[in-house]
Amino acid sequence: MSVDFHIELDHSEGALLRLLGTIERRGFALLNLAADKPDEESYLVRLRLGGERDPLVLCRQLERLVEVRVVKVVPPPPEPPPSPGFQATWL
Amino acid sequence: MDGSRQLSTRVCTGAQWLLQALEEEGCEVMFGYPGGAVMPVYDALVDSSIRHILVRHEQGAALAADGYARASGKVGVCLATSGPGATNLLTGIANAFLDSVPMVAITGQVQTMVMGTDAFQEVDVFGMSLPVVKHSYIVRRAEDVYATVREAFAIARSGRPGPVLIDLPKDVALASAQARAPRFKHGADRRGESDGLMRARALLATAKRPLLYVGGGVGMANAEGPLRSLMRSTGLPAVYTLKGLGSVDPDAPFNLGMLGMHGNPAANHAVQECDLLIVAGARFDDRATGKLDTFAPGARVLHMDIDAAEIGKLRKADVGLGGKLSEQLPALAQPLHISEWLRRCRSLKLKHAERYDAPGEGVFAPALLKQLSEAGGNRLIVASDVGQHQMWVAQHWRVPRAAAHLSSGGLGTMGFGLPAAIGAQLARPDACVVCVSGDGSIMMNIQELATLKRYGIPVKIVLLDNACLGMVRQWQELFFAERYSEVDLSDNPDFAVLARAFGIPAFTVDRADQVPAAIERLLEEDGPLFCHVKIDPRANVWPLVPPGKSNAQMMGCAA
Repeated sequence: MSVDFHIELDHSEGALLRLLGTIERRGFALLNLAADKPDEESYLVRLRLGGERDPLVLCRQLERLVEVRVVKVVPPPPEPPPSPGFQATWL
Repeated sequence: MDGSRQLSTRVCTGAQWLLQALEEEGCEVMFGYPGGAVMPVYDALVDSSIRHILVRHEQGAALAADGYARASGKVGVCLATSGPGATNLLTGIANAFLDSVPMVAITGQVQTMVMGTDAFQEVDVFGMSLPVVKHSYIVRRAEDVYATVREAFAIARSGRPGPVLIDLPKDVALASAQARAPRFKHGADRRGESDGLMRARALLATAKRPLLYVGGGVGMANAEGPLRSLMRSTGLPAVYTLKGLGSVDPDAPFNLGMLGMHGNPAANHAVQECDLLIVAGARFDDRATGKLDTFAPGARVLHMDIDAAEIGKLRKADVGLGGKLSEQLPALAQPLHISEWLRRCRSLKLKHAERYDAPGEGVFAPALLKQLSEAGGNRLIVASDVGQHQMWVAQHWRVPRAAAHLSSGGLGTMGFGLPAAIGAQLARPDACVVCVSGDGSIMMNIQELATLKRYGIPVKIVLLDNACLGMVRQWQELFFAERYSEVDLSDNPDFAVLARAFGIPAFTVDRADQVPAAIERLLEEDGPLFCHVKIDPRANVWPLVPPGKSNAQMMGCAA
């Protein structure tokens, strides 16, 4: 099961490390990660996570981190239809 | 005077700002050990009103700060240098994290210009501690030191308490600057469902077999009074976790005891039979629940916790309430019609009452602990170490309030007892603090006997010596076909002689008929005292829920 998170957090020392460490320690795998720095004081992080545990519990665990401002759990986009045959994809 | 009003004009060193902020936060005692990178702080300490307790190992500093915090409800403070000083603090910081104890741990760090170069005594304690702190800082400018300390205290004590680390490079501690004002962040007040309280009351009103499951959060929220009032007004029965010990009135008629692996069978059976579990400041820890999917199988769950992240983490809640227990518990009060259930609880309690009529001339540790706690009464605080004796304390010590029982619950830190007792005694000089330890645990921080001696701290130590690592030995006996592996401690030192070598008066007890005099001496004598009690190495802790089994499958108790 995968789930997308959009997280806004303070741009302070260790904030990203703390965020990503919490996610992995709580049993979720980082499948995709993108981070922006929209201004001097914040990060905007988009994550796709894999895991079997309840993402809403993770959401609350992230919300209690001091640097985290907002956590949104976003439904993942629909899976593309299966391709008719082998198709190489370069990422 | 609140020095924050003078921030715009004064220039001080980072170390001086650190101590000013600590003083303004009400820090009266701190525990620490000096070293190279933290020397500027120790220099500034000479002019400070804060009493520094020089421990003999940094782990002792962190655990003493932990004990100080648990006994006083204040933030515990510890201080160490960089490198090994900082790593030695980590176990104590983790201990505070797992048990939600408010603590500020301060570490010296190498100078900022050499950070990241593998400098002498450099470790990345900020990175190493990330999983075991509520929050952490590296302070890189002297002007930030004051505000960082103030913010750290606010974080440590707010919401669900926890440890905060401040890593202070030496050059920052030495540099002079004006201080910036602190910026306190106010976390969102997450109260759970908006109609939660109404639904909680409705759940309780329709329950036929409701049961309170009380955790450490009750004591930390100062909600003992509301909990006891609720129990008195409704008749609700209660079970509690290791950390919930003392929150429930020990004399309450429907106090069914501790639940879980070494819990009272009455408590475990009641949990299995209840139809509504009212969880107050507890977190479904595996030592409490046994096999989780068999725990309270027929119960709906009302879960109340200051930390909304605990709700639904391990067991789905029918109603979850984040917020203050001191406000939520009184709101549940209502007339209940549960007389049949209370008869059942009374019957369970009677059937599984503890017995103390052990045969033989040797010392029966559970009886000793019960007698000592009853003789000492409400002035006692017990700090237990980790192992069989910890469970005997939990089962048999009469605990009148939560802050009178200090135990390493989440981390299970052998070596916790003695430094925690030191911290507790300094926090509560009016109390009689007893450290109950084992011969394995005491050796983990035996050096703190020197701290007892230096400051004349009147902690009483009761060492239950079974000449082995008793809890591991018990599990090897029961679950590893009696293949005893590395549990023998029969070559222990003579503990009474050892204590005397530190300058602590000591005596040894090895017969049951010596116990009354020993208790009298422990309670009457001034100053620190070491009571070495030899017990049967084959003694086990009963009952026991085997690992991976349901709490209904207890060994060593009546069916």
